[in-house]
Amino acid sequence: MNINDMRRELAHLGNGAHALAIQILGNSDDAADAVQDALAQALGRRNQYRPERGPLKAWFLGIVRHRCIDLLRGRRPAGGSIDALTDAAPGPEELLELADRDRNLQHALDSLADEQRQIIVLRDYLDFSYAEIADILRVPPGTVMSRLHRARVALGKAYRKYDER
Amino acid sequence: MNDRTMNEDHVGEMLSGYIDGELTQQDRQRVRLHCEVCQHCRRQLEDLRTMRDRIGAARLSTIDENAWRETMNDTTVRATRGIGWLLFIGGILLAAGFAVYEIITDSSLSAFEKTIIGGIYGGLLLLFVSVLRQRLIERKTDKYKDVEI
Repeated sequence: MNINDMRRELAHLGNGAHALAIQILGNSDDAADAVQDALAQALGRRNQYRPERGPLKAWFLGIVRHRCIDLLRGRRPAGGSIDALTDAAPGPEELLELADRDRNLQHALDSLADEQRQIIVLRDYLDFSYAEIADILRVPPGTVMSRLHRARVALGKAYRKYDER
Repeated sequence: MNDRTMNEDHVGEMLSGYIDGELTQQDRQRVRLHCEVCQHCRRQLEDLRTMRDRIGAARLSTIDENAWRETMNDTTVRATRGIGWLLFIGGILLAAGFAVYEIITDSSLSAFEKTIIGGIYGGLLLLFVSVLRQRLIERKTDKYKDVEI
């Protein structure tokens, strides 16, 4: 893959990478920094990408996740709360209902463990296959379905709790 | 078969595999048949689908593709510009050093001529450094430097 094709694809993946980074780091600005670092790393290491081992998307998201974990190791406050798991920048066309729904979803996501948030975003927001998720999270492929299911059930319960308020 | 008898044999996590299309044909069939008779799993299947659709439609990030493209351009431009400056300054220093060496060791020039040549080139160097310094200071404080014309 030449550098221009890679840059085009990476730019296309930026939004999803940012969404994942928000789930790990807990706020939009830190997540944007992490994605920016990951983009630079990915371009710098582009020769290490092997298309036969999987799509660029999975390779890049792996870099993003590692960068987030590195940042977390350096600065995560013990028991710190997560400020914004959905990015707050509503467009003028946004409906009130959608905003409420996103807010409830944010609270529900907030109540989950980090691993649960990540696996839900990887599958339901970014549409990765189970095999790709296993690769990104470095877990055995056989555990993805059970982890994802537990996370979804937990998210559903939490969402209903906030929705009923 | 009623719900009570099926409770002991719910398909559980396979429901997630089912909505994601990650099951084998045999397992898909098993889930489908189970959901036909188990209201609990049928309801959970609907809940899972609803939550999956909500996440899919959520606004989890609003930074658009162009912003990431510009970020990458910035990174590349900064890196190449840095290397360019390094090579340019290194080359200038080497050329200047070589020129000074040549002038000092050139026996055909008198001390007076060497002083004149040294003065001219030294003056030019001082002017260059002075302008460069001023431009660098202005660049730091110029609030319009990022405005595109």
